[in-house]
Amino acid sequence: MELGPIFRAMLKAKAGYILIALQIAVTMTIMVNAIAIMQEKNDAIARESGMDEANTFAFSSTSFEPDADMRSLVEEDLDTIRNLPGVRSAVASNSYPLRQGGWSEGLQLEPDANSSDSIGSAIYFVDEHGVDSFGATIIDGQNFTPNQVSFKDPESNTWPAYGIVTEALAKELFPEEQTSVVGKTIYLGDNDPINIVAVIDRLQAPWQSWTGVERSMLIPQRRLGTYQTYIVRTEPGYRDELMPQVEELLANSNKGRIIRSMTTMDHVRMRAYLDESAMVTMLTFIVTLLVIITGLGIVGLASFNVSRRTRQIGIRRALGANKFAIMRYFMVENFIVSSVGIATGGILAVLLNILMVNAFGLQPLSWYVIPIAMLVLWLVGQIAVAGPARRASNITPAIATRSG
Amino acid sequence: MFRYYLRLGLLSIRANPALSALMVAAIAIGIGACMTIVNVRHVMSDNPIEHKNDVLYHVQVDNWSPDEPYEEPDLPPEQLSYLDAKALYDAKRAFRQVVSFKSDRVVQPAGEDARPFQETVRATTADFFAMFDVPFAFGSGWDEAADQSEERVVVLASGLNEELFGGKNSVGELLRMNDETYRIVGVLAPWTPVPKFYDVNNNPFEEPERLFLPFSLAISGEFGSNGNTSCWKTVGDGGYEAFLASECIWMQMWVELEDATQRQEYEQFLNAYVSEQKLLGRFPREMNNRLSTPAEWLQNRDVVDDHVSMLLSLAVLFLVVCLLNTIGLLLAKVMRRTNDTSLRRALGANKSALFSQYIIEAGLIGMAGGLLGIGLTWLGLQGIENLYAEYEFIKNLVRMDWSMIFLAVALAIASALGAALYPTWRACSISPATTLRIQ
Amino acid sequence: MLKMKSVSKTYRTDMVETHALREFSLTVGEGEFVSVTGPSGSGKTTFLNIAGMLEELTSGTYELDGKDISSLNDRERSKVRNEKIGFIFQSFNLIPELDVFDNVDVPLRYRGFNAGERRRRIEKCLDMVGLMSRIKHYPGQLSGGQQQRVAIARALAGEPRFLLADEPTGNLDTNMAESVLDLLSEINTSGTTIIMVTHELTLADRAKRNIFVRDGQVSDGPPELHFAAAANA
Ligand SMILES: Nc1ncnc2c1ncn2[C@@H]1O[C@H](COP(=O)(O)OP(=O)(O)O)[C@@H](O)[C@H]1O
Ligand SMILES: [Mg+2]
Repeated sequence: MELGPIFRAMLKAKAGYILIALQIAVTMTIMVNAIAIMQEKNDAIARESGMDEANTFAFSSTSFEPDADMRSLVEEDLDTIRNLPGVRSAVASNSYPLRQGGWSEGLQLEPDANSSDSIGSAIYFVDEHGVDSFGATIIDGQNFTPNQVSFKDPESNTWPAYGIVTEALAKELFPEEQTSVVGKTIYLGDNDPINIVAVIDRLQAPWQSWTGVERSMLIPQRRLGTYQTYIVRTEPGYRDELMPQVEELLANSNKGRIIRSMTTMDHVRMRAYLDESAMVTMLTFIVTLLVIITGLGIVGLASFNVSRRTRQIGIRRALGANKFAIMRYFMVENFIVSSVGIATGGILAVLLNILMVNAFGLQPLSWYVIPIAMLVLWLVGQIAVAGPARRASNITPAIATRSG
Repeated sequence: MFRYYLRLGLLSIRANPALSALMVAAIAIGIGACMTIVNVRHVMSDNPIEHKNDVLYHVQVDNWSPDEPYEEPDLPPEQLSYLDAKALYDAKRAFRQVVSFKSDRVVQPAGEDARPFQETVRATTADFFAMFDVPFAFGSGWDEAADQSEERVVVLASGLNEELFGGKNSVGELLRMNDETYRIVGVLAPWTPVPKFYDVNNNPFEEPERLFLPFSLAISGEFGSNGNTSCWKTVGDGGYEAFLASECIWMQMWVELEDATQRQEYEQFLNAYVSEQKLLGRFPREMNNRLSTPAEWLQNRDVVDDHVSMLLSLAVLFLVVCLLNTIGLLLAKVMRRTNDTSLRRALGANKSALFSQYIIEAGLIGMAGGLLGIGLTWLGLQGIENLYAEYEFIKNLVRMDWSMIFLAVALAIASALGAALYPTWRACSISPATTLRIQ
Repeated sequence: MLKMKSVSKTYRTDMVETHALREFSLTVGEGEFVSVTGPSGSGKTTFLNIAGMLEELTSGTYELDGKDISSLNDRERSKVRNEKIGFIFQSFNLIPELDVFDNVDVPLRYRGFNAGERRRRIEKCLDMVGLMSRIKHYPGQLSGGQQQRVAIARALAGEPRFLLADEPTGNLDTNMAESVLDLLSEINTSGTTIIMVTHELTLADRAKRNIFVRDGQVSDGPPELHFAAAANA
């Protein structure tokens, strides 16, 4: 290989090469960090809520008549819904995963413990249909029985003595426990004891960006506020036909309330991760454009170099260089520039990533992103330079004797 | 001479159409990416009440838990409890004072088949409209008497008036909400402050509420909060009464103070109030009162989110890449024209003549890039609006004003000239002898 | 041995067809020193380009060392050019961004010699043209005569059997031209076949054989040449 002379020739006109190397370096910096951000967002988007999302929809009911009898209204609503063909189960609750708004409480192992020791958990108020409606699976213990379910004011502070926790919450509460946590007692707030009757595999809290998103607890209680949220899980394939049907039935059954926010869980997920997926789209767009611009920049510069060196290429051909040798010259030249750019870019990328981790609490980047980005940029460089290099190899050696 | 250089520049651009297009495109794309994000950020970090920035203050007192601050590092809660909001309001120690919170109502339009619908409402004291310069189309806000007498009055936003009354003057008409009848006293002209500075605790970029009604009426009607509520102490049993008496925070308070003296007096008043409450066993934390101007408050609440800042830093780097690209291409162009340049020098062109020639050429490319960049910025904003089509409020974010257009062109020309400096300098230092030395 | 038979070369442009060579026939034997003269535009450079395989011929046959060259592909032509032929151009044609050493190195690189061999040959040739002291200079830092001597060193480095020179002294003053001619004669004496195009009759006369080209054909040498030579003598 003729690395030495190529490199020395490059040093003679270094500014142009330094510029392209810098461009590759900054491209690499952006690319690596954009990929790191995209990875984090994609990981977040990929987390499962625990619900049977494809077959579940939710809506809310707001009663505006003063003195509405909420207990019988909710009871009737649930009866109506559960008796529809195609409905697998339904429950009235306060919220659901990915909804962004919900109820949380601190849980602790001892009563009256210092509040900073407590572990935050989302609270879903449900009846015995809650587990199935939320698409959860009991992995230990027994579901609530109907007579464990109590009825209370929305502002009440009386808690039932039972709860079902997610596996993640159980692990957080009893990190050392090897056997079952069913039957253990935990305390809600300062001194309301709750007996764990079952553990479910997974059910996310309503706030997907909360660090404790996997921690939820089901409470067998119905809060009789004027605002109710219903979650309906259907048999596969029935969701879309049931939604308007349910809306119609409930809206007509009681004129003193409005049915709102009828939405599929798919849509809820889309909305919940809109920011993340928009970010991924924008970054993909930026990175693609960037690689194209850098590629075109390399094409432009290489074309210029080829036409500037037309004469020199002719001389080399006259001195015995074959076409392949000429192509190789430009490919090697590009490889050297790319390598310098990529090496610098690797360092800059890590520095920017450290800055971003500090400024925005981003996850540190995975090591393999750097070699991948290197490979991509090397390839882009070689592809970009291939065209001009081919043109160079077609320059006739007769140039050397003509155009004196 | 300028015309001559302009013609040379155009000739040179035409002589290398692909390359010139590449440079224009690179600058345009860089500017487009940068300006799209800058634009979003500009709108997000706007201060819609800037003209009253020196007289308005957001009020905070620290009634939080003794065990931990509301937010590190030792920040007071961003909202007030009802107890404090009520007490501070009743003291009336500022030129104007407003306490308010966000709630919702079910609106029951007149007519048999009209469907009831839910609307967010702002329960507020009377000074809200005067204090925030809210524009009225018809009528006005309510007076303090209405505040005291819990009169059932309501002010409609222009959009809601459009929907319910076709945009006509509806002052004096009646409106049913939650089976109660309200009298319309005012209709606002279109008013969309972005961000929604008076309450940034919930989404600061959503539209303002479309219904405004007296605070005292909302309290006696037991309206719940539709915004964020945070509590550090469990609320006792006893329904709404207990909630009002709790340490939960859910209200926003603003005061208008006309000068430094008033401000000082108000600070003293707040200190006195908190000290007094401490004697009653409340306010377990150190005294930590804050009065923030709207600008400080928006800054403090950091309404510009991390995503935008991240995108902005990447977009700026993107522009750097585009500029490096342009510098490289311009330099290549200069180098290829070495002979031409040294010939011109040999024929008597001095350095400043060459400098003008190259800089004008670069300026032309920059201008073209800037104009195209504005178009791309507009496309970029449309793209963002599409990505967030799900959210109504995003429309508020994707506006482009003249200052942004001006900035885009200025940035493009500055970029192109900046990019042209080094290649031009290189061109100027080409010696007239070069041609003679190497054929 | 170089043998051209009825070689024609036609250049086609949009406007005109130029018959640069027509039915051109010439044989140059081992160790000859041939000068080619003729009016401008007569086809001298074209002949040299075809002889050196820089261009392809339109019709006719061309044999080099008994091998038909016209059917070779680019790779093979490049190899022949690299191993058997050395070029010297009127305008020197050094590569401006390489120093003297690297310029002479260019054909050796394509030959695939190892570093030691290359250095040995480069130093030997530069020594021969008397430019060892300028080994780190760039072409821009050399005089015309020095540049041409580097070009000669480069042409000799591969130890070619044929040396083709197109107006090698065209850009040099008389003294320089004489010294370049001395160098070429010396090279020829050591066995290298030389074909040199020139329009200076005095220089042409230094060759052992003179060829006159007119309208793309070899013609008998013009009487003036011998007259000039006689006058010189
Ligand atoms: N690439 C080309 N295209 C068209 N015509 C050419 C080309 N090269 C040379 N010619 C023509 O061929 C003829 C011979 O040229 P050349 O061999 O360079 O002449 P000489 O070297 O004897 O002065 C000239 O008439 C010239 O114009
Ligand atoms: Mg010629």
